[in-house]
Amino acid sequence: MVKNEKVILYDVDRQYDDMIASKCDHALAADGKYAHCQGCFGCWTKHPAECFMKDKLQQVCRIIGQANELVIVTENLYGGYSAAVKNVLDRAIGSSTPFSTYRGKQMHHTLRYGKHDLLKVVVYGDITEAEKNTFRYLVERNAINEGHARSEVVFIEDLAELEGVL
Amino acid sequence: MKTVLINCSPKKRFCASQYFLFLQKLFTGGKKVSEKLRNQADHARILDQLKDAQTVVFCLPLYVDGVPSHVLRFMEEMETFCRQNDIHLNVYCIANNGFIEGRQNEPLMQIIENFCSRAGLIWGGGVGIGGGVMLNVTRIVFEIQIGLLVLNTVLSVIQTGVLFPKDLWIDFGENALTLLFFNLGALFYFALMGAAIRKGSYLGKKYTRILIPSFIFILFADIFFIIISLFEGGIFRGWLAKKEPAN
Ligand SMILES: Cc1cc2nc3c(=O)[nH]c(=O)nc-3n(C[C@H](O)[C@H](O)[C@H](O)COP(=O)(O)O)c2cc1C
Repeated sequence: MVKNEKVILYDVDRQYDDMIASKCDHALAADGKYAHCQGCFGCWTKHPAECFMKDKLQQVCRIIGQANELVIVTENLYGGYSAAVKNVLDRAIGSSTPFSTYRGKQMHHTLRYGKHDLLKVVVYGDITEAEKNTFRYLVERNAINEGHARSEVVFIEDLAELEGVL
Repeated sequence: MKTVLINCSPKKRFCASQYFLFLQKLFTGGKKVSEKLRNQADHARILDQLKDAQTVVFCLPLYVDGVPSHVLRFMEEMETFCRQNDIHLNVYCIANNGFIEGRQNEPLMQIIENFCSRAGLIWGGGVGIGGGVMLNVTRIVFEIQIGLLVLNTVLSVIQTGVLFPKDLWIDFGENALTLLFFNLGALFYFALMGAAIRKGSYLGKKYTRILIPSFIFILFADIFFIIISLFEGGIFRGWLAKKEPAN
């Protein structure tokens, strides 16, 4: 199995599609038009690594799960991911298995595709200091939960800076 | 005083959030309205309920260390709605997660707190409950036990004419107390939250869990998923396989 070296999940305008595609092995556009997770766990217990909803996100866990480096470009929403990005992440839990283990002294699921290297999150949009702190903490937690060795959060003030940080 | 309690689980049935909402209502005074938030179609109805409310309680599951995406969409709309209508509710939160550590709900709590700041609402704090799925199972087991108690009582009346067979009731009592014990941490904080709602005061962020040792919990969690995956057939469809995308 060849891992996708670098996957970028992003919610910015389609005008950035080509630039983002040129920066990674797989680009995932979160356009906010997908159905949200129904919480059924079917992607673990019924049809592993596949959602029962037949849209573009049906097998998204297989792409995210194989990313050695996952870069997320998201607008700030209360110190967390935009709803469009979060929608994709919620639909991707098939990248782990239903079995439990300990990581970082807390309970987490074992990883279907093994460990990853970097989780990098690029945040744009209006943001307060408190929200920045929440975001840093959230990404740290995500990195442990999803089995990333390293994590990084970059706050950009203007989307003109995006290309430089990808 | 009106409190709107919103069950934010996207599941139709058997959701832990519904169970915790039910328990919280037992400890909450005044007028209580329960709402269900599953998708966009629910937004207008729930926002309408907020107009004359003093308090809102979000009961929600933890998804990927944060708030589920359909709830984020609602919060965005609620922020605009509250600003436009000059609504300044007290906001509390009951978050539950699958893993045993309730503290894993901390990022979610912070996100709700940041939402309150943006929307001009008053953050009242919340309870984060680890092992939510398992606690919900204790509820289901309790309901089954009541069913069995009734059945066995009827059989006892028919067979021996005894209405209160002692052994049966002692068994039931013991089992019920064990199940109650697992829930005690959550119940304690629901009582505190009920008091905070009544006074409109700040509860703080409280974390608790199902009261069993972690190593037993992990064992049960694994057995739970093995059984469900057997019934649903996932075990025979590359349960733990590294599947490749179809295209
Ligand atoms: C998409 C998804 C993501 C989840 N992420 C987490 C997580 O990061 N940590 C955790 O402890 N549990 C996680 N869970 C488990 C849920 O929090 C748990 O099943 C909860 O009890 C569901 O509550 P409900 O029945 O009210 O929907 C996740 C579940 C789903 C479906």
